[in-house]
Amino acid sequence: MSSVLIKNESRLGLKLVAPAVGIIGLLVIYPILFNLYLSFFDVQLNGSKTFVGLNNYTELLGNPRYYHSIGVSVIYLIGTVIGTTVLGLAAAILMNQTFRFRNLARGLILLPYFAPVISVVFGWQFIFDPVNGIYNHVVVDVLHLTNERENLIGNPDSALFVVILFDIWKHFPIAYLLFLAKLQSVPKDLYEAAAIDGQNPWGRFWHVTLPELRFVIATVVLLRVIWNLNRFEDVYLLAPNVETLPIFTYYQAFAGIVDQGAAAAISVIQLLVLVGLIWLYVRKVLKW
Amino acid sequence: MNQSLTITRSILLSGLLISQISNAATVEFWTAQTQSDRLQTIELLASTFEALNDGVTVKVVGVDENEMATQMAAAVAAGTTPQLIEVNSEIIMALGEEGIVDTQTHQGVINDIGKRRFHTGALTTLTSPQGQYYGLPYHGWIQGIWYRKDWFDEKGLAAPNTWENIATAAKALTDKANNQYGILVGTKQDSYTEQVFTQLALSNNAAEFDAEGHLVFNSPATLETIQYYKDLALYNPPGPQNWRARDYYLQGKMGMFFYSTYIMDDLALAEVAKGSLSSENFKELSGGTFDPELVKNTAFAPIISHKSAASYGTLSGLVALKTSRAADAKATKDFIEFMYDPASYITFLHMAPGGMNPMLKGIAEDPAYLDDPNGVFKLYGADKMKQIVSGFDDIRSFSVVGGKTFPASGAIFAKSVIPRMIYDVTIEGKDPQQTLDAAEAEMKTIMAQ
Repeated sequence: MSSVLIKNESRLGLKLVAPAVGIIGLLVIYPILFNLYLSFFDVQLNGSKTFVGLNNYTELLGNPRYYHSIGVSVIYLIGTVIGTTVLGLAAAILMNQTFRFRNLARGLILLPYFAPVISVVFGWQFIFDPVNGIYNHVVVDVLHLTNERENLIGNPDSALFVVILFDIWKHFPIAYLLFLAKLQSVPKDLYEAAAIDGQNPWGRFWHVTLPELRFVIATVVLLRVIWNLNRFEDVYLLAPNVETLPIFTYYQAFAGIVDQGAAAAISVIQLLVLVGLIWLYVRKVLKW
Repeated sequence: MNQSLTITRSILLSGLLISQISNAATVEFWTAQTQSDRLQTIELLASTFEALNDGVTVKVVGVDENEMATQMAAAVAAGTTPQLIEVNSEIIMALGEEGIVDTQTHQGVINDIGKRRFHTGALTTLTSPQGQYYGLPYHGWIQGIWYRKDWFDEKGLAAPNTWENIATAAKALTDKANNQYGILVGTKQDSYTEQVFTQLALSNNAAEFDAEGHLVFNSPATLETIQYYKDLALYNPPGPQNWRARDYYLQGKMGMFFYSTYIMDDLALAEVAKGSLSSENFKELSGGTFDPELVKNTAFAPIISHKSAASYGTLSGLVALKTSRAADAKATKDFIEFMYDPASYITFLHMAPGGMNPMLKGIAEDPAYLDDPNGVFKLYGADKMKQIVSGFDDIRSFSVVGGKTFPASGAIFAKSVIPRMIYDVTIEGKDPQQTLDAAEAEMKTIMAQ
């Protein structure tokens, strides 16, 4: 009797799970497999495909721009992840103190995150316009700091740093929000105990705040890495000459006539790298 | 009796309704004219056509020219291909090679209108090597250097129609400390850069293909052009620039700039220039209100000579795309023919007087054409107009060599190989020969596909 019941129950369980498995299969597994399949073909717009074997991969791996874009991506990732995390943490600790108009200040910090990316990007571009922008007007005409007008966004040497700065400014509020939420749940007595032990504010931060926030920080870093490795719109709109991996992919595969085979090959490699990175991070840093 | 009449009537009515539905056709029309006033005019033409043709819906969608190929690819993949697009010839040739263009409809339109009414060169540009029409030429522009005649006279500079004259004037008119620039050549990775480069390259007898269709891009002539281009870019405003920087000219901060005949109404009319002068720049910094003297003080050099004389221009065409619905294909053909009807054609061309020039013979002499609503043609006067249009006689491009068209040129254009090469040299400071080698390699890869 009981074995029948168990059998029935497990059958019911399977039936209940089936729709979810089906949907995941259709929406996640199938596109990944199809993408893998496409990466071995030269695909024409009218649908015809020619098998080219590993050609898409060898072409990609033989392209010096690909390695350059990986280098740019690494700098971009390090800069933005550290920048948003540190700034977010600083803002969260500040906003966790009691002061007048605290709620208003807490809300205002979120503004860059709310603003649509297209409008703030154009705002930044007008600020840094080499001929009419306010930045050059102030630096050259008003303060006379230099004689030469600069195009900070356009100049490839500075563009990457402007893009990193923009990303930090635009996205630190999400880190701040997560840190603040966690900070509010840290028990007060921990700080009191630390104070009794003779810890100064720096010591309290080091021995209480940081350990308490450890997992939130690790999560924020993980999320930021995933987001920014794939981030396209901010970089492309602000400075299309900063070739991070997604921008490189766009120029290779999606600019002009879409080269679906090459695009598939790039995304397969990127997926493998990202999965490997996350696996490593989850095992070693988060220790899940 | 009465009842049977009612039944008959309702049967007849429903039959009519069904026939109406089966006649229903849609023409989705993607146009590269994305400015709102132009879209309004095209909407008006579409509504007129709808009023004349029962059951046909024309849906107008504006798509940025640089995005057209990408959007098309996405649409084809999703099975939502539009019926008709209007875009430049390079993209047309690239799409034609992808096998998604309805060449039969084009042939039909040409048969109906008459092949001899089209300008021959324009038709050739859109013809495949097998003699099929990948698109129908609709309007065209030429490009040249627009310059401040008054400043040139003041400094005793010769008109910028040779390499030497251009370089001399660019140097003489640049005063970076005072925010003044001599010239603007494209340095961003977009089609404007390719257009400027092409004209200079053609005047140096550089080419992409020889008459047999071999790639001959990596040549001393091309290298020389790149080096010259790099020198000119030194007199640009800082950083990567594209056509939007023409605003600096309208603000009186630049001596020369490459532009198509599309600039004519901006120069002449305060209303049109407003978009360039204020809305997108800081009011107190723009330094520019509309200069009514600008038309008078601006001159145009459409032909640049070095080793040979070259004017550059491109044409935009209408392209019908393959569809499985016969009703849609029929409606698309009707709509194209409606667009070539003098009344609607002139309405379209008047959106940018001088910028959009007719590809059908006889339209340019039509008094209705010369009487544009804003009076731009009158402001310029007959002589200047004649000089501007003279550029069309010598119009050349990379894709047509010796009367033969090479569609691979379209694919190379669509992949922005040349603009990226220019960007690498002018902004990244890379070695011209190495960059040229890389561009050639990329072109070969594209052609091998």
